[in-house]
Amino acid sequence: MFQNTKCECGHQNHVGTVLCEYCGKPLGEESLSEEPLEMRYDGVARRSQKANPSWIDRIWNFFSSVKIAVYLIVITLLGSTLGTIYPQESTFLSGDPTTYYEVNYGLPGKIYYALGLSRTYESWWFITLLVMIGTSLVICSLDRVLPLYRALNKQSIRKHLTFLKRQRVVFTRDIPGDPEEFVEKLGEQLKRKGYRVNRDGTALLAEKGRFSRWGPYINHIGLILFLLAVLARSIPGWYMDSYVTLPEGEAVEIKDTNYYIKNEKFTVQYYTDDELPDELKGTLRAKLYETKAVLYECTAYCGDLTREPELKEVHRHDIIVNDPLSYKGLHAYQFDFDETPKLKAVKPVLVDKQTGESYGPFELSMTNPEISYQVGPYTLELRDQFMEFAIGENGKPTTLSREPNAPAFFFLIKGPGLPKEGESYLYFPREIDKVRFSQDQINRDIADRFEIKVGSMENVVLSGATTFLNIRVDTAIPYVWVGAAISMIGLILGFYWQHRRIWLRIDDGKLTLGAHTNKNWFGMRGDVASALRKLDIVVEPKSLDNGGNKT
Amino acid sequence: MSFLEFSSDAFIAAFFLYCFGFLFYMIAIGGKKWSNRDPEQHVKRWGRVAYIVSTLGLVAHLAFFFTRWIGAGHIPTSNMYEFMTFLGMSIMIAFTVIYSIYRSPLLGMFALPLTIIIVAYASVFPQEVQPLIPALNSIWLKIHVTTAALGEAFFAVGFAAGLMYLLRVVDFKGKTKEARRAQRWVEFTLYVIIVVISFIITVFVFRGMGYEAEFKQMQVNIDSRGQETTTEENVQYTMPPIFKPYNSETISMDSFIGMKQPLLETPYWMDGVNAGRKLNTVVWSIIAGSLLYGLLRLVFRKPLGAVIHPAMEGIDPEDLDEISYRAIAIGFPIFTLGALIFAMIWANIAWSRFWGWDPKEVWALITWLYYSAYLHLRLSRGWQGHRSAWLAVIGFVIVMFTLIGVNLIIAGLHSYAGV
Amino acid sequence: MGASRKTVQIVILIGVLLIGGYAIGKTLFADDQGPPGVGDRPPDFSLLGMDGEVHNLSDYEGKALVINFWGTFCPPCVEEMPEFQRQYEKWRGEDFDILAINLSEADLPVANFVRQMDLDYPLLRDVNRRTERNYGLRSYPTTFFVKKDGTIMEVFVGGMTEEQINERVERLLET
Repeated sequence: MFQNTKCECGHQNHVGTVLCEYCGKPLGEESLSEEPLEMRYDGVARRSQKANPSWIDRIWNFFSSVKIAVYLIVITLLGSTLGTIYPQESTFLSGDPTTYYEVNYGLPGKIYYALGLSRTYESWWFITLLVMIGTSLVICSLDRVLPLYRALNKQSIRKHLTFLKRQRVVFTRDIPGDPEEFVEKLGEQLKRKGYRVNRDGTALLAEKGRFSRWGPYINHIGLILFLLAVLARSIPGWYMDSYVTLPEGEAVEIKDTNYYIKNEKFTVQYYTDDELPDELKGTLRAKLYETKAVLYECTAYCGDLTREPELKEVHRHDIIVNDPLSYKGLHAYQFDFDETPKLKAVKPVLVDKQTGESYGPFELSMTNPEISYQVGPYTLELRDQFMEFAIGENGKPTTLSREPNAPAFFFLIKGPGLPKEGESYLYFPREIDKVRFSQDQINRDIADRFEIKVGSMENVVLSGATTFLNIRVDTAIPYVWVGAAISMIGLILGFYWQHRRIWLRIDDGKLTLGAHTNKNWFGMRGDVASALRKLDIVVEPKSLDNGGNKT
Repeated sequence: MSFLEFSSDAFIAAFFLYCFGFLFYMIAIGGKKWSNRDPEQHVKRWGRVAYIVSTLGLVAHLAFFFTRWIGAGHIPTSNMYEFMTFLGMSIMIAFTVIYSIYRSPLLGMFALPLTIIIVAYASVFPQEVQPLIPALNSIWLKIHVTTAALGEAFFAVGFAAGLMYLLRVVDFKGKTKEARRAQRWVEFTLYVIIVVISFIITVFVFRGMGYEAEFKQMQVNIDSRGQETTTEENVQYTMPPIFKPYNSETISMDSFIGMKQPLLETPYWMDGVNAGRKLNTVVWSIIAGSLLYGLLRLVFRKPLGAVIHPAMEGIDPEDLDEISYRAIAIGFPIFTLGALIFAMIWANIAWSRFWGWDPKEVWALITWLYYSAYLHLRLSRGWQGHRSAWLAVIGFVIVMFTLIGVNLIIAGLHSYAGV
Repeated sequence: MGASRKTVQIVILIGVLLIGGYAIGKTLFADDQGPPGVGDRPPDFSLLGMDGEVHNLSDYEGKALVINFWGTFCPPCVEEMPEFQRQYEKWRGEDFDILAINLSEADLPVANFVRQMDLDYPLLRDVNRRTERNYGLRSYPTTFFVKKDGTIMEVFVGGMTEEQINERVERLLET
């Protein structure tokens, strides 16, 4: 199809041009109407508008449409709501997702899980939507920003009369006296208002805040960077998210790294009743969770199972909520804790009941005891240990778990006055277990001669609270912030400044003025009215309104 | 007098000043046609009085905010009461900013009642100063919450202007299908607002009566080993139980106009925290709201939209459209900064990730996506005026759902902001 | 200008296709983050055996494997161990091995237990539950049957009889 795109001023325009790039005269359908002009992108042809599009052009055109962009945004919005109906799988650490939803929410929950909505934000369709939005951001922007840049960079001062008359803000009046002098004076006034003024004899173009036109595009660049930064987390080594359980005083290896981390002490503080309002008095309201943490780097024997690794302290930090430990891109966050004290070791003595003499004390670790202890003249050989003592079905002692919930130690006592092969003695460190399993009856005769016992609480070693830390590496974070910052700059430029332009020309003593802005017509009309008032032309700002669409 | 005592006095002062401000706005608009006066002069004079009084209200509100800050030792935005009062204050600030640009006194007639409703809603929640839990103890509490609320306040002003636009332009005498549809939806919007007001009134009426009922609710849980455990929990009601909690027994119950037993039981599938009480409150609000709405209809003998419509005469709808758009355009960057960027920075410090698809986060994103769609649509022909005003109204519904609905229905990591 | 515009279009579309395709593909072929299941490769480990040697999973590449997690505190674990011992003897000489990983217990009970039981297949000691966690264990005993190609044929939770083991080992050896 042949389309004449040559304007009467002689300028050859691109296909799809709405307003002549040179003089602003409306072209094509736009020239038939009397309505204010469609000033989007200054009426230039977008890159994608061309005759005979190929299939590449068609894909390009699809993504370059703002309408499609709005559809994508709305679909993403609706899709996002689905993920908030029930908790996402990523939000619970324990529990089996395959049964969780059905158990907790019944049939709707089962359907929810079956549809994959329990992982909405990792699903292929959601990511596809984000990718499409990203594509739309790139193509929409490119498609508009370059032609717009060209159009704004080479504006002619004297525009076609129709172009002025069909602006949203229009003013016409007969001007007595020298037209050039009038234009110059008005130019002065507009300069004072911060406009850049270009004159061409009896025509004038005043412009202000053009940079704000780039705001949306800067914003889009920021958003694209942001999305790319999020995607960059899948680069190997850029992202890590794991949890460590830290009993007090034990350096624990951080999986997949060369670091070890130790919890020297964990404390919880609660508010006292004085600090609480009446209705909260007597409740436990946490004030502080703190892990005194030390980070070590392994320097030798790191993977070696037969030897203890050599650790070098590299960093220490008191981790509290809102204040993580950070070292070379590795972060450790306070996540959870378990305050239940656990029996770690006891320091009992061996008492000779007949003489009343006591030997020891010796340190008996619950999890890692020695094989034999020498106390006074006696030797205690540890023959077996039970973490949670019980009598099994076959009548033999056994253990119910691997936690020291009801520890028991089976010793052979050897020494003066005892048989050579020794006497067996079962020892329960916890008083409650001693009674429950009747230690003295089990030990029979030997119970009358010896007793292993802990003198006082000082000789009981309890482990402090266990803390749970969340270990993170997220190398992409700085790029995420850069993207967000650029986006924010774009938004501020685009929304808090406006691009305002005023064109005017005087033909045979008749002034025609047209003005355009991309936002805030109220301010635009005010600018024009107040500049005119300085030249003793009084107009009500509202009367300048030529009607039509606002953008 | 301690800071906190002064603070609560200032709050009451602010509330009444807002109410008087609203009253004067009504006089400014409603009194236009009173005899022996020039309508323009009348609107100007009373509009000014109303503006001054409501600005004094804002000053008192600011005094409340800062004295409570000093008295509590931390910024008062850490629970629902504090946040909602702050949101009300932000709406007044946003209104003042928009007013300084457009000098349209009538905007106050809609911004003020919105503030009053939100401040009154805030008072439904416990007002004691609560010391901060560790998760909230951060400088970002100040930065994130205040900027997010300010952004949302601009959206609220956009909503007020949008609703004004609709009341101004919808043809309440029209008989066409379109006119009728517009009438119905405007009426529905007003009805919803009345339900919200009724909720607040109901809460305070029953609180004033000292109404109490208590139930023992049995909850059966089956743990991972298949063992059944029953936990008992006492649930307190402050409104007469139309719906008692699911699977519960009455421990005590004040009688209410002959009602001595709960009427119905909450269905089993509503099993959230305090689901029974929430359902009961919702039902009461709808009943009271419907009664109030019916009463108003009886008094005026026409739809409420048609009652308000004449008062809007003389306001340029184009200005309202632009004010609504402008308020949202000003609010959008602030919202982006506060509710998304600052939120991400804080989340990265407190929860070790900047984004975790927590329901509150998702809803903030939904709000943001919604308003970005709105801003893109404004670029197209045919999306100004009517449609744009409806979008502004719906947008505010989404904002309120993000702020309140998520806490009431979904909860999640932000649950400390809940009821 | 037409030509350069075309080039820009193609470059950008290819970029979008690569980056977007990668992002979407990642969701479709995501590494299963859950516990290893049928068809997955069992997580690698390097553990000290009761024989004092270090055993790596990779040492057993190309063999049909039974990886069994056990503890002295778990009666069904204890009951099934002699069954595994008989199977171990039966298939000696084949491309087959049994690795029995103890659930991070203290030294003494394990040593005593092994002395009583008279087992001669490799017994490994997990430390701080690390391997157990990597394998996503929820209850004990759990046994993984690994084919010669290094993928899991079956995950069996609970105690097993010799018959049950035998049937599975036969299938394993056929692969």
